[in-house]
Amino acid sequence: MGRTLSLTERGPATPGRHSDEVVIGISPAFGAFFSKTIVELPHAEVLRELLAGIEEQGMRARVIRYRSGSDLAVIAHTAARYSGSGIGVGVLSRGTTMIHQKQLLKLSNLELFPQAPLLDLETFRKVGRNAARYAKGESPEPVPARNDYMARPRWQAKAALLHIKETEFVTPRAEPVELEVAISLADAG
Amino acid sequence: MRHSKRTEILEAKPVNLDGFVEEWPEVGMVAMDSPYDPEPGIRVEQGTVVEMDGKPRAEFDFIDQFIADHAIDADIAPEAMAHSAEHIAHLLIDATVSRRAVLGVVRGLTPAKLLAVVKTMNVVEMMMALQKMRARRTPSNQAHSTSARDNPVQIAADAAEAALRGFRELETTLGVVRYAPLAAIALQVGAQAARPGVLTQCALEEATELELGMRGITGYAETISVYGTEPVFCDGDDTPWSKAFLASAYASRGIKMRFTSGTGSEVQMGNAEGKSMLYLEIRCILVTKGAGVQGLQNGSISCIGVPGAVPAGIRAVLAENLIASTVDLECASGNDQSFSHSDMRRTARLLPQLLPGTDFVCSGYSGVPNYDNMFAGSNLDPEDYDDWNTIQRDLQVDGALRHVPEERILAARAHAARALQAVFAHLELPPVTDKEIEAVTYAHGSQELPLRDVLEDLKAAQSVLDRGITGLDIVKGLEAGGFTEVAESLLTVLRQRISGDLLHTSAILTPEMETLSAVNDANDYAGPGTGYRPSGQRWEEMKRLRHVVSASNPEEEVS
Amino acid sequence: MAELDPALDYPLAARRPELLRTPTGKRIEDITMQAVLDGEVGPEDLRIAPETLRLQAEIADGSGRRQLGENFARAAELTRVPDQTVLEIYNALRPWASTKQRLLEIAEQLDREYTAPGCAELVREAAEVYERRDILAG
Repeated sequence: MGRTLSLTERGPATPGRHSDEVVIGISPAFGAFFSKTIVELPHAEVLRELLAGIEEQGMRARVIRYRSGSDLAVIAHTAARYSGSGIGVGVLSRGTTMIHQKQLLKLSNLELFPQAPLLDLETFRKVGRNAARYAKGESPEPVPARNDYMARPRWQAKAALLHIKETEFVTPRAEPVELEVAISLADAG
Repeated sequence: MRHSKRTEILEAKPVNLDGFVEEWPEVGMVAMDSPYDPEPGIRVEQGTVVEMDGKPRAEFDFIDQFIADHAIDADIAPEAMAHSAEHIAHLLIDATVSRRAVLGVVRGLTPAKLLAVVKTMNVVEMMMALQKMRARRTPSNQAHSTSARDNPVQIAADAAEAALRGFRELETTLGVVRYAPLAAIALQVGAQAARPGVLTQCALEEATELELGMRGITGYAETISVYGTEPVFCDGDDTPWSKAFLASAYASRGIKMRFTSGTGSEVQMGNAEGKSMLYLEIRCILVTKGAGVQGLQNGSISCIGVPGAVPAGIRAVLAENLIASTVDLECASGNDQSFSHSDMRRTARLLPQLLPGTDFVCSGYSGVPNYDNMFAGSNLDPEDYDDWNTIQRDLQVDGALRHVPEERILAARAHAARALQAVFAHLELPPVTDKEIEAVTYAHGSQELPLRDVLEDLKAAQSVLDRGITGLDIVKGLEAGGFTEVAESLLTVLRQRISGDLLHTSAILTPEMETLSAVNDANDYAGPGTGYRPSGQRWEEMKRLRHVVSASNPEEEVS
Repeated sequence: MAELDPALDYPLAARRPELLRTPTGKRIEDITMQAVLDGEVGPEDLRIAPETLRLQAEIADGSGRRQLGENFARAAELTRVPDQTVLEIYNALRPWASTKQRLLEIAEQLDREYTAPGCAELVREAAEVYERRDILAG
């Protein structure tokens, strides 16, 4: 039985004041035009795992939507800048994910998961967990990156289409917005 | 719906694991036939191109301007452009028209015109043209030697095996970039240990790659990327001018280099400006030409999944190799990235380069199992060696490889690893143990190798840079360890820089240390009975396979 | 100097070794293993001399490769420029890396300090194009 994701905009995002928070920045069409990653993981489940990973470390999570671009590094770095702990997670609709830190250069990062097709829900949980541990000042082992040289022939062109489509939902100069997240079990009937 | 048994069987075929997408010309998701590509045209005033492919000079982006001012011969352009696309395509496939005569026309053509020319050609015509337009007469090949654990011992042993099997260029890259100095040393030592004169490179960020080259740890460079739209070029943090300057920097140190480009990179990065993949790639080819670089690695390369997913995409990939050759550049023609789950489709993608022959049929062939390939897998890996050799023999087509008996391969692998052991000892780098040498001699990939102390290796890698170690130190280490022939071979490779002979188009070193390039080994194909055809000793070598029944005693096999 | 004929004189190392010197004045045959072991050969001996690059430019031109020849001519100029400066100029030519003023200063330096007019010209041209295409710094 699937879960449904409801994202409600709560005005412009503001920088956090709590040092025990991690901000998740989602891309313009995440949970909106798109509802699942490139390998059809529902966005509801992806977000649920990221949030659970953060919360199980005793940290709080906040979700914002980045609207003025579809570049993962920018989204993740923006999330980090809005985060009270300085740690942010960026995630694109197709699933590509990055953990970023406010003090780092935009083109740098703490952990990057470039191959969206290889990310499963367990990995998203670990990403949330590691982000929370960075926020606590720890140095966790990076989440193991899977490697599959056959991912390219299967997914590369679809990834390009998804990226182009996501970019169509970019609103130039729009500020990030705060999101209220509700994840509920869909009714069986 | 109920499925037939046949549907079930087809559904389970590997080809159905490949990704295919519909065309979307508005965003550039189209191989070579887009309504949004410009119409060919040129206007020249007082020796300057003032209008190209329907765009006035004031509106040129930086790629247009670089091509107009550096790649196109403005004096002959109006005359060349006056020929119809069909006529120029005829010149390309007509064996009685010399390569040189074609070059005389082509240097006046714009990107849109070159596109129009190849659009009139089917793949068989393109292969015929490529056979004539390839710059070097003798085809060659390149391999990757990498390791999932960046293990230098593996890189050295597989470099040696690849060299022995016939590759004349070897490329490595890293999982952990800081490992680069050790990987580059291992590649160089392994290559020279098996067969002299193999040229090596290490794919890295541009400035670092240049530094390793200047130190003589690597022998040439290839990862100098160019792109077909201005925003993507800028995303790559370069311009045609920065890249042209870099090209001169390499030549100023006597180091061979080529650029890299390929269809699909712009749409992959979401900025194709609504142009077809091939039109944008032709702009890359002409930027390379204009920069005065001798050659180009193209054929989609790391973006092969994109043209591979659209209709006529593999025809476009052949077209880009053909155009690179047709503007007189060395062409290292792709076939270097995992392309398909289907063996049949992998082979079909390879034949258009293998059959006509290119300067480097693969750029490169994975010399390590694909799980160890740090370029994310190649179209071919060691498990395909026997198939490749058989195809060469079946068709009498020279793909530059050969079957080598196992005892020679084992000897070469061990020799390379021991040579590396000596060099590491001489340079006071973390030791290569006898256990590692034994393991790597008989291994297929990194999974069968003892783990190295990665932190110690990384510290040592940094010290190679800090201590200013150069290729000469490797020579001394080899000599000190008693590997005199390997040392001589490396010194001879380093000495090439003084003459600059390898800077010319399509240059390689033969195992006899002779320079072979488009200058002294120019492609002279002029129809049946001419040009390069495997014969004599080389053909005898190609006839050997792992298992061939002896004619004189059919109870035995020849070896 | 005699006009070179690509068909007769290339490869230079094999056909015209008497024309070749390292930037330190050595002949190729002086770069022997013994000399390396005796410490008589350093990395500076394994570089190409500007004169050699000009010879190779002649070969390129004679083979119908104008742009390759121009590249070799610029390379001949750059043999005089230290490694670090070469890398700095390359980085300065990246998009949004330099002001127009900075690029013109580099061109001036190439011209005056290193007698590198071909490279200076390339950098000046970049300054103009970068201005028009709005990829200068600042």
